[in-house]
Amino acid sequence: MRRRFGRRTRQAAPSDGGRRIVIVGSPNVGKSLIFTRLTGAYAVVSNYPGTTVEVFRGWAHVGGERYEVIDTPGMYSLLPVSEEELVARRILLSDRPDAVLHVADAKNLERMLLLTLQLIEARLPVILVLNIIDEAERLGMAIDVPRLERELRAPVCATDATTGRGVDALRGRIEEYVSRARMGRH
Amino acid sequence: MYHVPGWDAIEASLDRIESLLARPYGMSGRAVALLLLQGDDEIAGIVGAAEPEALEKIRPIVAEAQARYDDPLPYIIAVRRQEEASRITRAVLSRGAAPRVGFAERLSRIMMNPLTGIPLVLLILYLGLYKFVGGFGAGVLVDLVEDAVFVRRVNPWTAALAERLLPWESARALIAGDYGIVTLGVRYAVAIILPIVATFFIAFAVIEDSGYLPRLAMLIDRLFKAIGLTGRAVIPMVLGLGCDTMATLVTRTLPTVRERLISTILLALAIPCSAQLGVILSLLDGHPLGLWVWVGVMGGVFILVGALSSRVLPGEAPSFYMEIPPLRLPRPANVLIKTYSRVRWYFLEIFPVFILASVVIWAGQMTGLFDRGVALLRHPVRWIGLPDDAAVAFLFGFFRRDYGAAGLFDIKRAGLLTGRQIVVACTTLALFLPCVAQFLITVRERGLRTAVALSAFVFVFSFSVGFLLNKVLVFWAVPL
Amino acid sequence: MKISERAEEILETLWVRSEEKAEQVGLGVARGNPEVEELVKAGLATVRGDRIALTERGRAEGEKVTRRHRLAERFLSDLLHVKERLVHPVGCRFEHLLVEGIEDNICALLGHPRTCPHGRPIPEGECCRRFREGAGKGVMALAAMEAGQGGRVAYIQTRDRSRLQKIMAMGVLPGMPITLIQTFPSYVFQVGQSQFAVDERLAEGIIVRTAAR
Repeated sequence: MRRRFGRRTRQAAPSDGGRRIVIVGSPNVGKSLIFTRLTGAYAVVSNYPGTTVEVFRGWAHVGGERYEVIDTPGMYSLLPVSEEELVARRILLSDRPDAVLHVADAKNLERMLLLTLQLIEARLPVILVLNIIDEAERLGMAIDVPRLERELRAPVCATDATTGRGVDALRGRIEEYVSRARMGRH
Repeated sequence: MYHVPGWDAIEASLDRIESLLARPYGMSGRAVALLLLQGDDEIAGIVGAAEPEALEKIRPIVAEAQARYDDPLPYIIAVRRQEEASRITRAVLSRGAAPRVGFAERLSRIMMNPLTGIPLVLLILYLGLYKFVGGFGAGVLVDLVEDAVFVRRVNPWTAALAERLLPWESARALIAGDYGIVTLGVRYAVAIILPIVATFFIAFAVIEDSGYLPRLAMLIDRLFKAIGLTGRAVIPMVLGLGCDTMATLVTRTLPTVRERLISTILLALAIPCSAQLGVILSLLDGHPLGLWVWVGVMGGVFILVGALSSRVLPGEAPSFYMEIPPLRLPRPANVLIKTYSRVRWYFLEIFPVFILASVVIWAGQMTGLFDRGVALLRHPVRWIGLPDDAAVAFLFGFFRRDYGAAGLFDIKRAGLLTGRQIVVACTTLALFLPCVAQFLITVRERGLRTAVALSAFVFVFSFSVGFLLNKVLVFWAVPL
Repeated sequence: MKISERAEEILETLWVRSEEKAEQVGLGVARGNPEVEELVKAGLATVRGDRIALTERGRAEGEKVTRRHRLAERFLSDLLHVKERLVHPVGCRFEHLLVEGIEDNICALLGHPRTCPHGRPIPEGECCRRFREGAGKGVMALAAMEAGQGGRVAYIQTRDRSRLQKIMAMGVLPGMPITLIQTFPSYVFQVGQSQFAVDERLAEGIIVRTAAR
C-alpha cells in the first residue's frame, strides 16, 4: 500500500545506498504534483497543512539513472515547530540526498527564499523550483532566473506542475547537477 | 559557497563548532553547527549522545555568541537572512499591477467573518454530515446494500451452504449464526459501515481540498482555547466524526503532547464516528426532542471534559497559527483517489476487527464466557434504566461502538425500548469505550498506560453520565 | 547652552551614578579637567571640596543625555543588529547625533522601549507619555491595528522562543509588507502573497511600522 496513514518516521530512512532526490517546501506549493511529474506515479495531492503526516516515495528516471524520490511533509523552516517539519527535516538531514528540490511558490519569492537560503547554508545540494510560475505571471510578476541563479549560486527552474511546463528542463538540471557533483567528488 | 554577508561573529562561532564535531551525522557539519547555534534540542540530543565531550565544549561557544546579542540567535540569524532574501528579491523580481480582490478572496472573507461564517459552518454540517452522510449514506445506501445484497442473497446462500457443507452445529454458528462471521461480521462491515464511511470520506475530501478547514480552524480557535486546544485541533475532531481511529492518528500533527492527549481523550469519549452516528441517528429517528437531548449532552460533555483536562494536565496554553491557503475548487479525480485510499485503509484496518469480533463472540458463547460477561454488564445496564437485553449490545460495544448501537437497533425494532431508554442508551453508548482499533492506535500513539487509564475513565464516565441522564429524565418526566 | 561631547559624557556618568545609584561622586583624577569646568560654568554641576554634584538643571539635562544614549543603543541593537560589544562605544558616538526631536522619532520607531539592551531603564520622554495615552503613531503591535491597516514588519517582540519561531516560520520578519485582514475571532493577515491566522498572543508579538493613511 503506497499511501499509509501515520507512517512511522523511523521507517523513513531506506537502507540502500541508491541515488536519492528529496522534495521539500512549504505546504500548498505543488510539491506533490512535482513528485507526480517526476515519478509518473499518481500521488494524492495532500493540499493543506495539518491533515496527516505522510511521506511519499517513488522512483524517477533522470538521464538514464534511477532515483528514489521522496516527497516530504510541508516545512517552512529548518527549525521545526511542528511534527510535519520535524519529519521533513529528519528525512532531509539523514537521507544524504543527491539533490534537494526546494519547490517554491513563484509568486511568493521573498518568503520562499528564506527556506532556500537555509538549505544553502546547510550546504545541501539545492535546486530551487519556482512552481506555479503561470500564476505569478498572471499577477504581472517577472523573475530574472539567470540572475537568481547567480545570486544563490544554485540552479533555479521555473515550472508549472499542473501543465508540466518546465519539468523536462528540471530533469536536465538535476542530471547536470548530480553529474557535476559526482565529478567534484572523484 | 554562498554565505550571508555580515555574519562575521556568527560565522566564526560556526567554524569553531564545526571543527569540534568529529562524528558524521548524515548531514554536513555546517548544518549541525547552525542548528546547535540556534539551540535546536533534537540536534543537541543527537550530538550529546554521540560525543558528549564535544557538546560540552560547544555549549560555551553558543552562550558566548548569544551574549553578543540582545535578541535570541535564531532571530538575529533569521533577520539577516530576511535582509538577504529581500535584497535578492529586489534584484530579480519585477512587479506588474497589484492583484485585485477576486471571487475566491471574497468568498474566503465571508467564510472567515463570524457573522456569515458560523451560519455557513452549520449549513455545511447540515448538508455534508446530516443530509449526505446521514441521509444518503446511512439511509439510502445502507438500505440498498443490506436489503438487496445481504438479506436477500448472501445470508440465505451462506446459511444454505453452511447447512450443506458443515455437519457441526457450532461450525455453522461460526459462519452463519446470529453473530457469525458472514452474517454479522461481513454484513456489518460491508453493508452498514462501508457506505457510511465512504460517503463521509467523500464529503471530508471535498471540504479538505477546497481549503475550508483552516478557515474553520480560525473561526473556532477562541472556543477551543477554553478546552486547552487551538483551532488546529478542529481537523482531527472533524475527521473523528468520520473515523475516530484515523483521527487519533492525525492528532500527531498537533504541536504539543498536551494538545495530543486532550484530543485523544475527546476523540475517545465525546466524538462519535460516522458509523456510530449513522446508527444513532436512525435509532433516534422519530424522537426529535431525544435527538436534541443527545446533541446537548454530547456537546456538554465535550466542553466539560475538555475544560477539565486542560486544567488538570500540566503544560502551557498553546498558541495558534495557521496558513490560510487560497480557496480552490476540489478536483473530482483527487477527491475520488483520496476517498478510495482512505476507505481502503479503513477497510483493511477495520475488517479484521469485525471478523475477530465474530470469532471472539462465537468462542465466548461456546465457552459460556460471553454469558458471564453479559451477566456482569447487566448491573450497570440496570442502573441506567435499560432492559437486560441491552447488556448484549454493550458487550458488543467493546469491539466497536457502532456494533453496540446496531445491537440496540435490533432491540428497538422488537419494541423493547421506550423513548427515554433510547436516549439514555444512545448517550451512554456514544460515550462508551472506543472500538478495539482505536484502542490499539491509542496504545501505539500515547502508550499502554495512558490507553488503559483512558479506557477505565471512559467506562466509568459513560455509565455515570447515563445514570444521571436517566435520573434527570425520569425526575422531570421528559416526554420523549 | 551647547556643551561639548566629552562634557556630555561626563554629565551622563554623573547622572547615572548620582541619580540611579544614589552615590556620592568624588572628583578624583577629574579635578581640574576642562570638561568639569565646562559643566560648572554651564550651571549644570557644582564642586564642593572633593565632591561634585548636579544642579537641578544638570539633573534634567543628564537624564536627557542618558535617554539619548540608551535609545541609541536600542536602535543599534534592535534595528541594525550591531554586535553587543560594539553597542556601547558606537552608541556613545551616535547619541550626540540625536538632537532633541529626532530622539523622539527614534523612540517611536522603537516602540517606546523601557530598557536599553543592557537592561537599564530608559528615562521616559514626552513621546513615551503621549504613546501610553494612546496617541502613539509609527509602530504598533498587529493586535492593536485595525482591519485593513497595513505596513511593514518593524520587529518581533517576544521572549518566548517557541512563539518567536512560529512567527519567523510564517515569514513575518522585519521589512516584510503586512496587511491585517480581520481581527475577530482570530487575527488574519497577509504577508507577501500568503495569508495566516494567528491568535492574540502571537499578534501582540508582531510589531508593525504602519503606513500613513
